[in-house]
Amino acid sequence: MNRTSAQALSVARPIIAGLTVLNIFYALSITVLLCASFVTEGWPWKQLGFDLATMHAQAANGLRAIMVIGMTGAAIVHTILRRLRVIVDTVRAGDPFILDNARRLHLIAWSVLGIELLRILVLAIATGMSLPGQMGGLTPAPWLAVLLLFVLSGVFTQGARMRADLDGTV
Amino acid sequence: MAILIRLDEQLHARRMTLTQLSERVDITLANLSILKTGKAKAIRFSTLEAICAALECQPGDLLAFDALQQIKE
Repeated sequence: MNRTSAQALSVARPIIAGLTVLNIFYALSITVLLCASFVTEGWPWKQLGFDLATMHAQAANGLRAIMVIGMTGAAIVHTILRRLRVIVDTVRAGDPFILDNARRLHLIAWSVLGIELLRILVLAIATGMSLPGQMGGLTPAPWLAVLLLFVLSGVFTQGARMRADLDGTV
Repeated sequence: MAILIRLDEQLHARRMTLTQLSERVDITLANLSILKTGKAKAIRFSTLEAICAALECQPGDLLAFDALQQIKE
């Protein structure tokens, strides 16, 4: 392992732990926002500068749907970070080429794909409701990441099989 | 596994211990023990060559095929 990889590996765990905390905070914030939207009149639309009277009749529900999607996304990100942490731990332990890691990478690939589909759903809702604000467009990078993750999980599966073949070779 | 390892017999014939063989062929005692007890799944040609050189024997003296064992499996 070269020096850069070793350094990346040493900082990976605290970064993943930090991102996990941030993601939980993000999910809790959206939950609070969603709950508050039902009990507080005009909140958070007014604070965000939206005038629901001039917008789509279902704009409020559209924003709530986006919040629910955001919470779902946070839950998916949590599973990704948890699996990533276990993979990093196996790399640090010197035994990453195992079938469990291949399975974890495969699930991470599906999770990233799920997040991208949720993003499309958010874009569709925002466009359909003519919601103001910058939602961001579709970029090929996340889809390439999904492809890369599926390929990588295949590489890990093959690596794990080769590793199993080597076990017991004298 | 229908392939039998006859390392024990060869060592016994030469009054040699597994530790002594390990020192001569530069293969760990643990790996030689795996080989001797028939727990190895594969053997490298380099390992076979080193053991044959140390014991002055042929690969056929170390390996055997047991057809009955294959039928049982």
